Amino acid sequence: MQLTKKPLRIREMVVIVFMVIGLKGGDTTPALFADHAQNAIWLVPVVSFLCLLPPFLILMYLLKKHEKYNLVELIFHLLGKKLGTVLSLLLFIGGFVSMSVDMRNVMEELNYLYFPESPTIMIYAIFLGICIIIANKGLETIGSLTWALIPIIILTILAVMTVDLRDAVWQRIFPILGDGPKTILVDGISKSSAFLEIFLLTIAYQAFHQTKDFRIGIYTGGILSCILIVTFYAIYAMVFDYNTINNIAFLYQESTEIVSLGHFFTNISTFFMIGWLFSTFLRFIIFLYILCWIFGAIFEIKRFEGLILPVGIVSMILSLIPPSFSINELVIRETSLQIITPLFLIFPFLLWGTDRWKNRGKT
Amino acid sequence: MFPWQKQKTEAIEKRKARKISKNLKDNVKYIEEQYSYGLNYDFESRTIQGPSGRYHLFFYSTTVDTKQLSDHIVAPLLEMKKDIPVDRIVSVPNISPITNMGDVEKGLNDGSVIIFKQGIAEGFEVNLQDFKHRAVEKAENEKTVKGPKESFTESLPTNISMLRKKIPSKDLIAENISVGTRPAVPVTLIYERDLANEKVLENIKNRISSITVDNIRNIEILEQFIEERPRSLFPTLLYTERPDNVSNFVSEGYIAIMMDNSSSCLIAPITIWSFFHSPEDRYLRWAFANFSRLIRALAYFITLFVSATYVAVTNYHSQLIPIDLLLAIASSRERVPLPIIFEVLLMEIAFELIREAGVRIPSPLGPTIGIVGALILGQAAVEANIVSPIVVIIVALSGLSSFAAANYSINHTLRISRFIFIVAASFYGLLSLLGAILLWAAYVVSISSFGVSYFSPATPSTKSSHDTFFRMILKKERWRPGFINPKDWDKK
Repeated sequence: MQLTKKPLRIREMVVIVFMVIGLKGGDTTPALFADHAQNAIWLVPVVSFLCLLPPFLILMYLLKKHEKYNLVELIFHLLGKKLGTVLSLLLFIGGFVSMSVDMRNVMEELNYLYFPESPTIMIYAIFLGICIIIANKGLETIGSLTWALIPIIILTILAVMTVDLRDAVWQRIFPILGDGPKTILVDGISKSSAFLEIFLLTIAYQAFHQTKDFRIGIYTGGILSCILIVTFYAIYAMVFDYNTINNIAFLYQESTEIVSLGHFFTNISTFFMIGWLFSTFLRFIIFLYILCWIFGAIFEIKRFEGLILPVGIVSMILSLIPPSFSINELVIRETSLQIITPLFLIFPFLLWGTDRWKNRGKT
Repeated sequence: MFPWQKQKTEAIEKRKARKISKNLKDNVKYIEEQYSYGLNYDFESRTIQGPSGRYHLFFYSTTVDTKQLSDHIVAPLLEMKKDIPVDRIVSVPNISPITNMGDVEKGLNDGSVIIFKQGIAEGFEVNLQDFKHRAVEKAENEKTVKGPKESFTESLPTNISMLRKKIPSKDLIAENISVGTRPAVPVTLIYERDLANEKVLENIKNRISSITVDNIRNIEILEQFIEERPRSLFPTLLYTERPDNVSNFVSEGYIAIMMDNSSSCLIAPITIWSFFHSPEDRYLRWAFANFSRLIRALAYFITLFVSATYVAVTNYHSQLIPIDLLLAIASSRERVPLPIIFEVLLMEIAFELIREAGVRIPSPLGPTIGIVGALILGQAAVEANIVSPIVVIIVALSGLSSFAAANYSINHTLRISRFIFIVAASFYGLLSLLGAILLWAAYVVSISSFGVSYFSPATPSTKSSHDTFFRMILKKERWRPGFINPKDWDKK
């Protein structure tokens, strides 16, 4: 017996979005951007967000118009069974590749920084095992868990910001355009699919108390995430400066590594690992769950929770193929993002076009 | 139903349906045989030959008030000269006519006196029960400095009377459901008719009536029969001995479950927050109450995580510890042969032993525990280089903090969870510790008590008085807890 049906509301949606998108401020994504954009790293996500905004708004408009559907059902409704399956599968594959690559990066980060003597696969297995067990418990548990742990994560974020800002020199933000406007634009647009989860999250459109909760939640969460990411990237630029920033792989950890808290606490980076690790766990739990949900929706599998284990393991095996972290991050991730980006930028327009085409006689 | 069960049930039904006979001798013979008169030394069967007729009384001398019996029953019957019905002779408030032997049996077991009269096929049950119980005493397990001091006692009428005193309202319902068969005993549900959610009430009633067991004698046993997850670490019913606490809950729309022979009662449905709240949090002023909650919250975190963090940090993340402290720890561990995890577990288990022994030990021997605990396990163990002093400090801290818990049930949860975390921390440092915490937290948010999420109103959120980690100023509390969906949400 459940007293309230669909108990999740705005706050859970906000934190889910925040966890999946916003916490990209702390993984290896900034290193990806810094490679070309140097100290204009904070402008790249701004470009990406601006570039993602129109397709996202169109998708949200379509979802609002067709009240009863979630992402996959909407695609099926507008494009029909065959084309819909192809497009949804492409989206799923995009998400899957992105998740696998991200997960490998995070594992390498964890391994390299905190457990240098352990084999990656061992850490990977523990991490994935926990993710799979929790993802199996369903969206309500995930949403509630995320909300329950958000105080720790926010505390960590605020602490990192204060600590980093003590070491930051704001003039380092100049030259404001870094390597030049062209690099920023090209980088921002071509890698905008680093934030593709925001499209995939719309699979949960019907899962909240009201669809309004979902909409408010995703907008609020998205805005908060943008602010967080841009602030964090700007802080990195101010802490590391031009030419250093593109040689650092783990900006978040490095930035906490070089500061100290008074004379007593000289090495505090592990403190910040707590919030970071929680957020990483939650991020992949949500990501894994959503991917399986999409897969389940495509092939009409009602109890898609059963897919979490195989999808997780396949993703782990695939992501272990690249020989090293740098190849994974700088070759595979960059290339895959550049391939995936057009798909995510274009598909909402495609849906919109079909919607207009279908309704051409009615207005 | 199995054939032998059917036979048994049929025999019982037949016995209960037997009518009372007009012939007094038949009735007396039947009941004396049923109740083993003569063998059962406190079972009394007494004939009274009054001027108006011949009467017979049955009762247990140990369960009735004998003074009232002689003043209000025996004396009037002996004196009455006119032949009028028994219920007009006897001067007691509680008298009811009965016609079959089932009622006679029930009345006798409940501590009533049964009166038969020659020539009438009817008996009378006079309720003069006087079961012995403790007086109302101070609450022992949930102490408060500010606020009422009385606690429940083992008598249900006394307990309900204490609640009626606190909520004098016609809407306060005390409903009985019987449970068990040998004999069937009543379980009393206490709720406010215009507040308690029907679905929850229905759910509780269903769970109680679907219990198939010969007997349940008290609330502590009943709790284990009606909870959803008997193996879970987390209790889903609140066990409390304070009538003021119960009346607070009932007037918010919760349901209290009571039974005779229990000096406590259960509250359902319940969320995790209620286990961390003491009734005193409402009696103290806002700042003081929240300060006390802050300290308690700190105590929970310490008891759950301090030993585990020590294991994780010293084993895997020693770079985190400032150099001076690291040297201090290293030098104190210099001559200790055991690995840290064994050291910590050893001391934690020793502490649990002291605690367990402290509960069971007869009180004249109490001081022994102090000597053994402090001297042998603390000082001597350090001097013998079995454990390092810092571990003694950490374990004492975590053990002490576990007793700051406001409720005894959650105390076990905290202590067992602590061991899970310590073991987890020894595998892969912070990675496995945080993973274990995450799994633990995911479990907590996923369970529910009678359809109510265990973590509400924090998440999933509803309108409520937002009484979670901290409470608001009482004047500003507007809503009753929305997660239990009371019939009336608005407090004002």
